[in-house]
Amino acid sequence: MLQDSGFTDVMIGEPVDTFRGAGGEDKARAFEVYGYAFVARRPV
Amino acid sequence: MTRDLLVDPEALREQVRDKYREVAVDPGASFHFHTGRSLAARLGYAAAASGALPDRAVESFAGVGNPFSLRSLAPGEKVVDVGSGAGFDSFIAVGQVGPDGYVVGVDMTPEMLAKSRQTAEALGLAHVEFRRGLAESLPVSDCWADVVISNGVINLCSDKQAVFAEIFRVLRPGGLLQFADIANGRPVPAAALRDIDLWTG
Repeated sequence: MLQDSGFTDVMIGEPVDTFRGAGGEDKARAFEVYGYAFVARRPV
Repeated sequence: MTRDLLVDPEALREQVRDKYREVAVDPGASFHFHTGRSLAARLGYAAAASGALPDRAVESFAGVGNPFSLRSLAPGEKVVDVGSGAGFDSFIAVGQVGPDGYVVGVDMTPEMLAKSRQTAEALGLAHVEFRRGLAESLPVSDCWADVVISNGVINLCSDKQAVFAEIFRVLRPGGLLQFADIANGRPVPAAALRDIDLWTG
């Protein structure tokens, strides 16, 4: 979707288990939900 | 252009406002996500940076990742924080861009805006401000920002394509979007995708 919106040079970081130990952990586990960092550039 | 959105945008916004109003006024309550300083540490924020902020700047933090983990901001950069909440990431950004930079936080929840504005005033920060607005219609002029940051917000917007188009508009050519958000490794059933209660809980 980032590239469809015109962004380039997309980078994605390592997954972070952001819901571990929280109330939403079960749902997060069921769908393998993790947090990620992204960087993308608007082309010149 | 009309897109087939999974849930009604305004109904979803109302649910999100309700949820994050509670995070603003009662950050010690139990949520389905972590909050505050323990979350910031879990997500890898530098202890020196988050530790320098007062409790009120951190306690309502509810991000899902670290938008500064792949790239730190540079001194002098102009930054927009989409869905700035109580301002935690905006205040981290202020520290990175320094006195020659400027940070605009945008949020739609009045209680979050009030909290972030009060914190900025208490800290005496002149190069950060918080504006009321939506991710799909940012109150920022074309090509103003060097960098747009966001944390755990875009997944709560029903029209993500509109959000990315709006971020593209406010970034200068060559500018960067650096954000954190959740993604799922297994497909979510179609019926669940249209269940608005599952978007915020």
